[in-house]
Amino acid sequence: MLGEVVAALIAAAVVGNIVLAFTGVAGPWAKRKITAAFTDRIAVNRVGPFGLLIIPAAAVQLLAKELIIPEGVDRPSWDIAPILLPASALLGFSVIPMGRLGPINFQLADPEVGFALVFAFASIASVSLVMAGYASNNKYSLLGGLRAVAQNLAYEIPLVVTAMSVVVFTGTLQMSGIVAAQTETLATVGGIAIPSWYAFVNPFAFVLFLTANMAEIGRNPFDIPEAPTEIVAGYQTEYSSAYFVLFYLGEFVHIFLGGAILAVTFLGGASGPGPAGIGFVWFVVKIWAFFLFTQWARSALPRVRIDQLIEIGWKGMLVLSFANLVLTAVIVGVIA
Amino acid sequence: MSLERPDTVDDGAVERTPDELEALLGDLVVDRDDHLNAPGFVIRPDTVQETLSILKEQAGYDHLSVVSAQEYENRYESIYHLKKFDDPTQEVSVVVPADKDDPVSETAEPVFRTADWHEREAYDLVGIEYEGHPDLRRILLPETWQGHPLSMDYDRDQPQIATLPEHANPLQEHHKDAESDTMFLNIGPHHPATHGVLHLKTTLDGEQVVDVEPDIGYLHRCEEQMAQSGTYRHQIMPYPDRWDYISAGLLNEWAYARAAEDLADIEVPEYAQVIRTMGAEMCRIAAHMLALATFALDINGDFTATFMYAINDRERVQNLLEDLTGQRLMFNYFRLGGVVWDLPEPREEFFSNTRDFLDQLPESIEEYHNLITANEVFQMRTIDTGVLPPEVAKNYGATGPVLRGSGVDYDLRRDDPYGYYDELDWDVVTEEGCDNFSRLLVRMREVEESAKIIEQCVDLLEDWPEDERTIQANVPRTLRPDDDTEIYRAVEGAKGELGIYIRADGTDKPARFKIRSPCFSNLQTLPEMSNGEYIPDVIAALGSLDVVLGEVDR
Repeated sequence: MLGEVVAALIAAAVVGNIVLAFTGVAGPWAKRKITAAFTDRIAVNRVGPFGLLIIPAAAVQLLAKELIIPEGVDRPSWDIAPILLPASALLGFSVIPMGRLGPINFQLADPEVGFALVFAFASIASVSLVMAGYASNNKYSLLGGLRAVAQNLAYEIPLVVTAMSVVVFTGTLQMSGIVAAQTETLATVGGIAIPSWYAFVNPFAFVLFLTANMAEIGRNPFDIPEAPTEIVAGYQTEYSSAYFVLFYLGEFVHIFLGGAILAVTFLGGASGPGPAGIGFVWFVVKIWAFFLFTQWARSALPRVRIDQLIEIGWKGMLVLSFANLVLTAVIVGVIA
Repeated sequence: MSLERPDTVDDGAVERTPDELEALLGDLVVDRDDHLNAPGFVIRPDTVQETLSILKEQAGYDHLSVVSAQEYENRYESIYHLKKFDDPTQEVSVVVPADKDDPVSETAEPVFRTADWHEREAYDLVGIEYEGHPDLRRILLPETWQGHPLSMDYDRDQPQIATLPEHANPLQEHHKDAESDTMFLNIGPHHPATHGVLHLKTTLDGEQVVDVEPDIGYLHRCEEQMAQSGTYRHQIMPYPDRWDYISAGLLNEWAYARAAEDLADIEVPEYAQVIRTMGAEMCRIAAHMLALATFALDINGDFTATFMYAINDRERVQNLLEDLTGQRLMFNYFRLGGVVWDLPEPREEFFSNTRDFLDQLPESIEEYHNLITANEVFQMRTIDTGVLPPEVAKNYGATGPVLRGSGVDYDLRRDDPYGYYDELDWDVVTEEGCDNFSRLLVRMREVEESAKIIEQCVDLLEDWPEDERTIQANVPRTLRPDDDTEIYRAVEGAKGELGIYIRADGTDKPARFKIRSPCFSNLQTLPEMSNGEYIPDVIAALGSLDVVLGEVDR
């Protein structure tokens, strides 16, 4: 019994650290390099090979800064908010099947309702943003918090409804079941077998899900809760030092969680060419591809206005996602 | 006011002689005080509104360029410099003397909205009070400032220490008003989107803006006072570079050069005019590129690629300017009567560098159109937001790309020609949309027009005979324009009509040096554009105005 608990804890620590390592690479280094490539610059290249040592340097620098606690902040919630954001996103990874690396299968738990659970974990994040926005005693933070909650309400529903159209295919909410349902070959074109990933089976749902996902994680063109040129830094305006790091970390873990959900739901999870033993590598490639996509959007796309965002969410995405669900259900019902 | 004079025709295009104007104004004119650029009519301080509305409605003088104020030994004086948007060479000055001991003059604000800020500035710096002004507060200096710095009895050594309780700190006001459910928000003085130190006092209803009031003066550096203590010949020219410091230096220098050359009657050699024209248009490209870059920053958010691309293009033109002038920002390249030195040697290299830049420019502009103006989200954000109808823009004295983005065809380079512009083939750009998108498009298309001008200048300079390359006229070492001559001259700067008013008093320094900053007038339109819109639209409107605070505050 005790052995199981210890083993589970070790496994959780391994998975958590893998995700944190991604974030550590992505935040101070990869993001700079990617943005620089998009904008004709070089970015960090002096600290260590390819500037990689900027990662420990940035960590030391950020943690060594003074933690400024403004007057009039609502103390317990102001402190809890930055912990809640990365914690909720990390919890989401507990049910993600990240594939095998040799004999190890990277999935902490595979409950029957795993798919519902992962969305539940991901949406706790908006609670953290509202808490931070309200507790900061700053008008820019308040505006950011309000925007965050309005945005999440408007996009959470299309996101979940679109995900349900996948469940119509799979008939299960178990994460491993959803991945398993995508292993068959859909068609063979010129000798190359196209797997039955739901991105290929239902590309319309994939685009809808991708768009809603961008809003869910708050990246361009939907980065309005932060909107640096409008409301300074939104809900995180008053945070500094370790608390800022936690927010920053939370956002990046959230991007990776968004990528992981997308990979599991539409891109066949850890499947890919080669033996199943390197599935983990494919999974990592997929979530990094999604990260790259968010950074590309950030460099290229303008930001929509809050009222336009709400309008797109409620009048466009919601209707389209329900139409997609009903259509999928009818087609699956007729074929099956 | 003016309605009881139905016998006159309301036709702005008709040019009237000064005597006809005097007849039109009738008893209102007390005396004549002609300036070098325009006839001047002296009127009583309580007839300002009546006079200005006659001139505006019956004679077509619909553009109040600037209000310049000054103190004499025996009186105070405000001068309203009027022009026509249809033909800015038709000018008239309305001179309003005010009592030495009790300087009170009627406000012009009900006739020209733009007088609001200009009169506040006159009150702030010179000390004339404008009766009936809706909001006569200091505008550049803090509320607690003692005395009026450009008045004669001002004691410069007097300490200006305001204790904290006395100091009305605009950031500490409480707006917890139980009656309303609006929220007061300070945007600035330090904010990512204010492009400098600008403070917007904003009242919000949810995310919508109920009211916005720009609070300026954080970057006031006494530029007028400094120019008044420098000699015409050499000591003033470095200052204009520091007004609109975003690489529009040569355009600013030209404003001073034009006013001073007309005042002292200096002819500029044709060769120098071509070099000036080319340099000025390079500056315009650099300034518009930065405007484009920062506007993309406001709409796309930080990390946008457009910003870096535009900065890259600005860098190219900046290198050319560096070759030409030896400096990157504070050029100090113009001299009264010409420019300081000839084109850099080897000339062929400079010409080929310039042509390389011009050759790749269409490709860059194409890319900007692909990246931003063709993007649906961008169009959604900018079309029909920050709307500024042409009549409102004129009433506020807006000029430059802001006015041309509202469809008003007004460009001093063509309408009041100077330099070499009237010899060259180019077009004035206007857009009819009146919104943020139009103002951006005007700037992007003006870059293309500037490129056309530069290309023609390069052609001319390449073939210029070697023995006719005179870069400076013969100008006396010390300039002493005649006593009591006054002039107001403007050029088309990067942001609009940049004008200089100079009064000479027979010495080698100006007695009054007044700068008409286009950004100052343009910024006044911000409340008109943003009330009722969302916060992001205010930011976009501010970005599309392209204000440089160094020029607003001077």
